[in-house]
Amino acid sequence: MAGETPLAATRTPWERAVGRLKAIVIDTVLLALALAMAEFLALAFSGRRGPTGMLLGAEEILDLLHYGWIASLAFAGAMVWNLFEHFLGSSPGRALAMGPREAEEGLEWHETLRGWFVAVLIELTFFTGWLVTEVDLGSFLTKFSKASGIVRGLVHPSGAVLHQGLVLLVQTIFLAFMATAFAIPVAFCLSFLAARNLTRGSALSRAVYLVTRTGMNFTRAVEPLVWALIFISWVGIGPFAGVLALWVHSVAALTKLYSEQIESIDPGPVDAIKATGARTLQVLRYGVVPQVIPPFLSFTIYRWDINVRMSTIIGFVGGGGIGYILKPRVDLGEWGEVGTLVLLIAVTVWLMDLVSAKIRERIV
Amino acid sequence: MGSGAEAVRIEGLSKVFDERVRALSNIDLVVREGEFLAVLGLSGSGKSTLLRCINRLIDPTGGRIWIDGEEITAAKGAQLRRMRQKIAMIFQQFNLVRRHSVILNVLTGTLGRTGIAGSLLLRFPQEERRRAVAFLERVGLGDHVEARADTLSGGQQQRVAIARALMQRPRLVLADEPVASLDPALRHSVMRHIEALNRDEGLTVLCSLHDIDLVKAYATRVVALRAGRLVWAGLPEELDMDVFHEIYGEDAEMASNASL
Repeated sequence: MAGETPLAATRTPWERAVGRLKAIVIDTVLLALALAMAEFLALAFSGRRGPTGMLLGAEEILDLLHYGWIASLAFAGAMVWNLFEHFLGSSPGRALAMGPREAEEGLEWHETLRGWFVAVLIELTFFTGWLVTEVDLGSFLTKFSKASGIVRGLVHPSGAVLHQGLVLLVQTIFLAFMATAFAIPVAFCLSFLAARNLTRGSALSRAVYLVTRTGMNFTRAVEPLVWALIFISWVGIGPFAGVLALWVHSVAALTKLYSEQIESIDPGPVDAIKATGARTLQVLRYGVVPQVIPPFLSFTIYRWDINVRMSTIIGFVGGGGIGYILKPRVDLGEWGEVGTLVLLIAVTVWLMDLVSAKIRERIV
Repeated sequence: MGSGAEAVRIEGLSKVFDERVRALSNIDLVVREGEFLAVLGLSGSGKSTLLRCINRLIDPTGGRIWIDGEEITAAKGAQLRRMRQKIAMIFQQFNLVRRHSVILNVLTGTLGRTGIAGSLLLRFPQEERRRAVAFLERVGLGDHVEARADTLSGGQQQRVAIARALMQRPRLVLADEPVASLDPALRHSVMRHIEALNRDEGLTVLCSLHDIDLVKAYATRVVALRAGRLVWAGLPEELDMDVFHEIYGEDAEMASNASL
């Protein structure tokens, strides 16, 4: 390594300053997390609180955070670690933001303070998570009998809901299909606006790109079940609300997939068509569309597949489909009928999966 | 030759990418009607950028360009599209629409003048289809009219691109390393078709090449770029060892010494 220029030396002072700033921010966050979790565990195990004291402990820690004690302590720790890294070794933040010091190359994790810190942080997270999610292995291992009714129902499905279940299953598949079908034209148009390589022309087109991208990311972040609640109050309980909920989510998801495909096209044909004096729409029609049609088809079928899965539970909140009759039977404990419906769903999802994989194989 | 009217006039042309990479520096160049002008230079010397500035696939950062006396660097919208129709381009990678048929690719040469509604549905006038078939026959692809473009060999694809260029009814042809991705044995078959554009159709041709043998065989005049600057201009027969080193640097070695 002797003859090579160290990486740090190739950086400008400005880049080094930014890197160091990032390192201190990351270290502060990590140290604050470690301190908060250690505090929480100490309170939980101090004996002064029973299992119900957990939440109280959490509140106390939120207060502490609020008053900034842990934050300032963590910040002080981060500063010390970054100032004295010659003795303490690179901090985790430094390692992430700028890479570890050269002197540490080839060290095992247990030979650095950073390694030990990360190991302790992982342990702390695990035990804190155990308490926060109220893990109860005892119930898991000894109280199976309470759920045995469901398992018995799955093994002995009742024929009473078979007919209704099949009818609603057909509705479920159509629900997913309509949501996908409505999503295609909208996502197709939006994807051109959300493709970076087509929106470099002017400040206006870059703004359109940003707005479309942000809007779609936000829409996608909201789960279809939440969209279903919105549309149920809009158009009323029933499958159409489910169609709309899955439609909105599909538009966002397909726009993202489509536009990423547009971004990865070969720019050559676009140049060639542009050079003939073609208009923008013609350039898209000849230079872009032929390149993206097969992957678009593949994504669309995949999306229909996902929509079938989602539409089986969209009925839980009143969005139509098979979930609509599944929910009350779960609540009433009609396990035989639940078993029938769950089996119907499983077979459908499995078949869709198989068919969609086969079709997509053919296309690409 | 060289005595015709100005087909292209370039003054002070510069292109800087990302405010850092200087691809072209202050290029002045006049191309006369009917010339076959070869542009020589190493890869990265700015040949491709120069050609793409002429039809504005790349917008220059400085300087002006006139085509037949009309300034393309000032043209916008419909005017720019009208000017581009008169300038055909042939690319190193052919740049055909791979999933479309050969004839549809040739017909895209007419996009600048066909109605937008029909063309979005891939419809073209019968008259244009007849011309397309005639051009395909001329470049020896009469049997491949309905074949999908990506089923053709590289040399065949480049001939489709030449037919597409003819379809445009151009006055000027820009050819960007037209034979660089072809098998050496096929280079002359494609170059001869480009030569025919120049000799039989009377089109002005600007062709970037890096093979001196091809320059000597086809060009009527040569200019050379080095690091974005015009370093030499002359006739093909004036290319000798000194000029070669001026263009390619002292370290360069001649691939075929015998030809000089």
